Amino acid sequence: MAQFIPLFPFLAFVINIFFGKRLNQASAWVSIVASGMAMLVSIQTFFEQQAHQNGSIVLGEWLSLYGVPLKFGVTVDALSVMMLLVVTIVATLIKIYSVGYMHGDPRYSRYFAYISLFTASMLGLVLADNFILLYIFWEGVGLCSYLLIAFWFERPAAAKAGLKAFITTRIGDTGFLIGIFLLLSLTHSLRFSDLAHVNVAGNETFFMVAALLIFFGAVGKSAQFPLHVWLPDAMEGPTAISALIHAATMVAAGVYLVARTFPLFLANPAALEFVGIIGGISALMAASIATVNNDIKRVLAYSTVSQLGLMMLGLGVGGYAAGTFHLMTHAFFKALLFLCAGSVIHAVHSQDIRTMGGLFAKMKITGMTFIIGALALAGVPPLAGFWSKDEILLSAYHGHQGLFMVAVLTSFLTAFYMARLIFLVLFGKPRSDISHAHESPVSMTFPLIVLSVFAIFVGLIGSPLAGHAFQAFILPHEGAHEVEINSMIMWLSVLIALTGIVLAFLVYMKGLKLPAFGGLYRLLLNKYYVDEIYQEIFVKPALAVCRGAFGFDFRFIDGIVNGTASCVQRLSAIFRPLQTGLVQNYLLFQVVGIIIFILILGGLCFRF
Amino acid sequence: MNELFFYFIALSACGFAFGAVTSRNIFHCAVWLAMALLSVAGIYLMLDALFLGVIQVLVYIGGIITLFIFAIKLTARIDDRSIRQTNEQVLISAIAVSILLIFLMLGIKLSSWAVFAQDHIFSLKQIGKSLLTTYVLPFEFISLILLAAMVGAIVIGKVKK
Amino acid sequence: MISLNHYMFLSAILFCIGVFGVLTRRNAIGILISIELILNAANINLVAFQRYLGTPDGLGQIFALFVVAIAAAGSVVGLVLVIAIYRNGKNIFVDNFNLMKW
Repeated sequence: MAQFIPLFPFLAFVINIFFGKRLNQASAWVSIVASGMAMLVSIQTFFEQQAHQNGSIVLGEWLSLYGVPLKFGVTVDALSVMMLLVVTIVATLIKIYSVGYMHGDPRYSRYFAYISLFTASMLGLVLADNFILLYIFWEGVGLCSYLLIAFWFERPAAAKAGLKAFITTRIGDTGFLIGIFLLLSLTHSLRFSDLAHVNVAGNETFFMVAALLIFFGAVGKSAQFPLHVWLPDAMEGPTAISALIHAATMVAAGVYLVARTFPLFLANPAALEFVGIIGGISALMAASIATVNNDIKRVLAYSTVSQLGLMMLGLGVGGYAAGTFHLMTHAFFKALLFLCAGSVIHAVHSQDIRTMGGLFAKMKITGMTFIIGALALAGVPPLAGFWSKDEILLSAYHGHQGLFMVAVLTSFLTAFYMARLIFLVLFGKPRSDISHAHESPVSMTFPLIVLSVFAIFVGLIGSPLAGHAFQAFILPHEGAHEVEINSMIMWLSVLIALTGIVLAFLVYMKGLKLPAFGGLYRLLLNKYYVDEIYQEIFVKPALAVCRGAFGFDFRFIDGIVNGTASCVQRLSAIFRPLQTGLVQNYLLFQVVGIIIFILILGGLCFRF
Repeated sequence: MNELFFYFIALSACGFAFGAVTSRNIFHCAVWLAMALLSVAGIYLMLDALFLGVIQVLVYIGGIITLFIFAIKLTARIDDRSIRQTNEQVLISAIAVSILLIFLMLGIKLSSWAVFAQDHIFSLKQIGKSLLTTYVLPFEFISLILLAAMVGAIVIGKVKK
Repeated sequence: MISLNHYMFLSAILFCIGVFGVLTRRNAIGILISIELILNAANINLVAFQRYLGTPDGLGQIFALFVVAIAAAGSVVGLVLVIAIYRNGKNIFVDNFNLMKW
């Protein structure tokens, strides 16, 4: 059944793209019903997978590469089932949310068509059982991301942000594709199931390069350093899109890719180490930027980069279960946070947190769910983020002291900036007129409530309280999972979270003046000048080369083309008078031609 | 006797034909053409093609020439002799056509034909039989073409309101 | 005795006169007249071949008949076209119609 899951949203896409204008409001329900169906089938697949352990299906043969037939099919294992559930549940809720959020938009049905295509691609990506199929859907989600970031393309910023996202991820994708080809030439197989027993002996360097290139694709998609610059700009899209694509699902695809190809990284410890370091850099850098940013969505965007970095870090230190667990919990509470932010923006028509404040009184449901999401992200027990973050800390604690410190610091910053966001947006005195602000319609608050329930309870399945059920599920072959409870790390985790929150409370509610960090503050506010550095190093030389090429094309190539054309024209001017337009002229030519023909023929006859 | 008759008819056919293509008056042209066609009918008679000769007189001189005269009357200003009736390529055309004629005659002269010894006369009865048995398909097609020409002529010639 | 060649010579001469007419007449009706001459030249050949070479089933004469029919159809259409052109341009001199270039 699993192979039919992506078909439901794809069908919704086809219906909406062709009949959207006629369906109008109903197009949303087409989309919602389709992802609801996909969700039901995913749940059924989950139970099937639990019963049989492995439900992978080979659908057929596709290409022959290196004489090896490339089979394609769907993978149904713990990882993909988990992703299926996360994607379909979050997508369905966000589509319901969009009914209210996108209400009255002129391209309403087009929005639901794109979002359905995205859901289909994402589900296809999760189910793909080989690199090529995964790459196709990988590009599919990239395309949808582009279309949806630039959904309000009338705004130049949105159009530019779409381009930036597309081009930046493309850099990573190129590396990914090269990595795929390298891997194909090394192993003569592209199926994920063959990665488990790959033999790296003798080819360590090549395998490591292949792993790094594949990771490079993940870096682009998951907005990790140094390709993280597109994600904050992607916030120009509708907020529901930010929640679905740029928080919960697509950006997690990079983490998913690393998890999917985890045996390859396990075989190359250096590559795995690299994954952890990149994750650590991204996590710390993005978290520090988030502490000073004033745009509600960008704070969440940097938070997403930071949390994805944390997942990469978890994977990089060998914590397969920790990374994937955090991926799942993060999908729920980050989607929740974005949807809350969307609800707030919907109410006050502004994204600048300096102009907000005191909104809790106006928006009780949004406020409550926002606080739940923030606490979950900050890592306050017993909410979801606490358990998954704890797992990552625990994984890093063994043998990776440096990365462990990075993770702890990131957790502290996370708690700080989330508390800052909550205090500035929901509490304190209103810093602008918010009298017109009101609670969002029920189609928007309903998903918030459902997601906040998930944010509260989804972490429990991986907690010691449930006997690490998630870990046993995601790593079924490890036998009895070693249930380790390190109470020291747990207390540390709680302590740093509370410290961050208290510090934020003191600074933003009680007016505590921090010692001046002028230079550091400016550095953070300008996002470490990464965009500017890229502008100088890559964009300007590229533009210069393009201008040179344009000049060459304009003067030299066009000169040749135009010269050829004018030569032909001048030559034809010589023969043009022959074309008199008089029928009798043409007939005369014909008679003369016959005479010449007879002459030639006669000459030949007499010769032989 | 026969030869004398042939040369007479052949000569008159060529003469009338020449008149038909060179006369300045287009109405005269039509009359010359009629005479030339009559001569050709004589040639048919000499070739023992009695039926074809009769058809030639009936269809060509009775039908087509009449049509030509109608068309001339409907269009041209026959009295105006100041209007040039030939174009600029008369001389070169004459030369080209002469060369072509020489080549054709050479070709005829140089080729040999397996001439049937006995005279083979084809009677009207045989023509009728042949037309409705062996050649019935082209015959039907010809009738279709004539119909199409008729309809086409009416459509094209109709004055659009 | 008159041979096949006599008829073929006659046919060739008539044909060349017809071609000359087609090449030189300005008047569209004159061209149609010349075309009739060309067709008659062909017909003479057909009948002469039938008479001297004895083709089966009277092929030559039958085809001469068909040629007459086609010529009738052709000249009808041609003349109607001439009249239609005359209605548009008030003359039928073909060297005025040189739109068929470039």
